Amino acid sequence: MSGLYALALLVSIGGLALIDLRHRLFFRVAPIRASLTLVAGLIVFVIWDVWAIHAGIFFRGDSPLLLGINLAPEFPIEEVLFLTLLCYSAMILYTLTVRLLDARQARRGAGTRA
Amino acid sequence: MMYWQICAIVLAAGLGIAAVTRAAGARVRLAAAAVALGGLAVATAVFDNIMIALGLFDYDRSTLVGLNIAQAPIEDFTYPLLAVLILPGLWLALGRLSERDWRTILRSSRPVSWINTAYPFAAALLLTRGEIDTALIVGTLFFLIPYNLLMYGINDVFDYESDLRNPRKGGIEGAVLERRLHAPVIATGALLALPGFVYLLVSGGLASGIVLILCLAGVLAYSMPPLRTKERAVADSVTSSLHFVGPAIFGLVLGDAVWTPGLICLLVAFFLWGAASHLFGAVQDVNADRAAGIGSSATAWGARAAARVSVLLYLGAGIAALGIPGWGRLAALLVIPYLVLTLPSWNITDATAERANRGWRGFLLVNQFTGFAVTMLLIVTALGALQG
Repeated sequence: MSGLYALALLVSIGGLALIDLRHRLFFRVAPIRASLTLVAGLIVFVIWDVWAIHAGIFFRGDSPLLLGINLAPEFPIEEVLFLTLLCYSAMILYTLTVRLLDARQARRGAGTRA
Repeated sequence: MMYWQICAIVLAAGLGIAAVTRAAGARVRLAAAAVALGGLAVATAVFDNIMIALGLFDYDRSTLVGLNIAQAPIEDFTYPLLAVLILPGLWLALGRLSERDWRTILRSSRPVSWINTAYPFAAALLLTRGEIDTALIVGTLFFLIPYNLLMYGINDVFDYESDLRNPRKGGIEGAVLERRLHAPVIATGALLALPGFVYLLVSGGLASGIVLILCLAGVLAYSMPPLRTKERAVADSVTSSLHFVGPAIFGLVLGDAVWTPGLICLLVAFFLWGAASHLFGAVQDVNADRAAGIGSSATAWGARAAARVSVLLYLGAGIAALGIPGWGRLAALLVIPYLVLTLPSWNITDATAERANRGWRGFLLVNQFTGFAVTMLLIVTALGALQG
């Protein structure tokens, strides 16, 4: 079914956004800074992708799940969503872990005082 | 080239980025980065296999070293590695400035005006090539934000002293930029502009490359000493107008447009309109600029002469638009609202120059309508061309 891959990516990104909103991790904390971080990451990943495509290393599959819209040769529009998901996942995992580590440290600190 | 070689170079670049962000003060929590990497690596192992199995992409297996986790080539794990290597550091380094500072920097690029540079480029390239391609997407994004960040960022940095004395700045029309934000503004503009600039340069030919470089040179020359054309009579309005006509010319050259007389008339009309608008904008600032020791066409000629030249330039734009064939000729009518806004200032004096601000504020509204009308004319013209 055309567009299923894009839909899956969007749903996943939406899931991350919910975690972000709920726990105040990334975009919820500083939307412009978060956007800049994500855009910078995307630029690096897109350059890498386009280079590898140009070198003939990977290419678009003929899956019917794709929308069929290419932003560049062998570079489907879904790739931008995928790279966004990758970068956003990395930042949510990182900021969430920092939060958990801090919370554990605070609990430990409270425990020694008591 | 083998996939692992590209991965190695990408990782080296990633290490470089990590080192730069660290030097900028980012202290990445290694334990958290390790957890993130672990999570992403597991996700990569699972989803890479699913995506390959679904046929979303495939590899030229001869470029792989052949080490796989099920079907997923080991090289693909460079993706999570690079993400964890650069993103937390970037996030923390950018956190050296508060969100308020970033908002100031964003505002300094005049988001209201983003469309004014992206649209001429996109329209020019789309109408000459007749299709959406990579250069159109990259170029539109480039002229939408990085170009404006660079243009207005550089402008604000060099205007710092005069902005402080000008109460009109700081609202919709711009922001006074604190000195400590000067370096971040220039760095953000330059870094965001670089990838698009390089792509547009190499994807076009010699001629389009020269036009692109001239566009950026104009951006620099407008506010940077020694040229600082914004303080020189005539050159100020010419450079300012070229900020907007330039992207259109670049789009046309990049798309190998045929230079018909009609097209040249269109560009002349656009250019005269831009120059007239800039000139009229300076009329209201005559006294503020003179008090601050800033030059412009208006301070050189006086408010009345500048206002009158502006009216004549609008008239010239209308006459030039008559040379556009077909429906496009109707664009000549679009100068009428501008004449209505500027004609009341025909007899303006230096003492009453601030009154021109009334007309100038009307521009913001009229420009929206003009943009809409021009778009409609472009669509009608394009449809006409399609139907022969």
